[in-house]
Amino acid sequence: MSRTITVEGDVNAVDTRVLLTTQGSVTAPSLVVPAGMTKIKKIIAAASHDGAADDGSAIFFIRLGGNAVLNGEQSIMIGGAGNQTVQSGSDAAPNVMLPFILDNVDIDVRPSDTISIAAEFAGVDIGDTAVAVTLVYGK
Amino acid sequence: MGKLYRSREGSITAVDTKTQLTTLGSETAPGPLLVPSGAKMLSAIIATVACDLATAADGTHFIRLEGPGLPEGPESLVVGASGVQVATGGSYANQAIRIPIDIPVTPANEILVFGENAGEDSGSTGIGVTLEFAA
Repeated sequence: MSRTITVEGDVNAVDTRVLLTTQGSVTAPSLVVPAGMTKIKKIIAAASHDGAADDGSAIFFIRLGGNAVLNGEQSIMIGGAGNQTVQSGSDAAPNVMLPFILDNVDIDVRPSDTISIAAEFAGVDIGDTAVAVTLVYGK
Repeated sequence: MGKLYRSREGSITAVDTKTQLTTLGSETAPGPLLVPSGAKMLSAIIATVACDLATAADGTHFIRLEGPGLPEGPESLVVGASGVQVATGGSYANQAIRIPIDIPVTPANEILVFGENAGEDSGSTGIGVTLEFAA
């Protein structure tokens, strides 16, 4: 049996750790690891950026920590994005990232403790970004 | 023991220049990337590349792993490539990749992570690397 938690948030400054604590219309989803779940089995993550900064090149990563994560904080790259000149009007190109799906993650967690999920982008500012992460728990 | 994930990132601003990745976003000095206690192997590399496409050119991106944490010696892996036809028009986003590997490691010793661009100068490039350790 698996259980899931999804969180998302805006990350609008480079090299800034941002806790992801919301879930769209749900402003405070529970971050307690469900009872009986002892592993993170899968991670699904995606990030987008508006490209509203010239000469941008940045990589996105997440941090998994808190009391529930055993063996210390885990950091995992999820994607990258770049853009040269801020575009406007009909010239503006979309920046679409398919989700990064990491199987067989096998991170030990302690059920009934709280996990923290944070996201950052690093490198050169690429404008405003949004990051969403799903954790799939198992045994 | 479950798997352990340790990451570093950095920017590469010149072609054919070996550049050590020493930071992790808001952590400007995370220190040496040591092989965790209990880890026996690198089971995968997760990597991502971001280029600002500042020149009408094409290049490739690869990483190097070195240091006393790798008893069999240094390794190198291609992690991506990028190019653009018009220097002012590029814009993109892509997901990370996971490359399964099986490389022995020595616990408590350091692994040095480097990024490098090759080919033509494709502009300033960010590279992020996660090392996936397993017992």
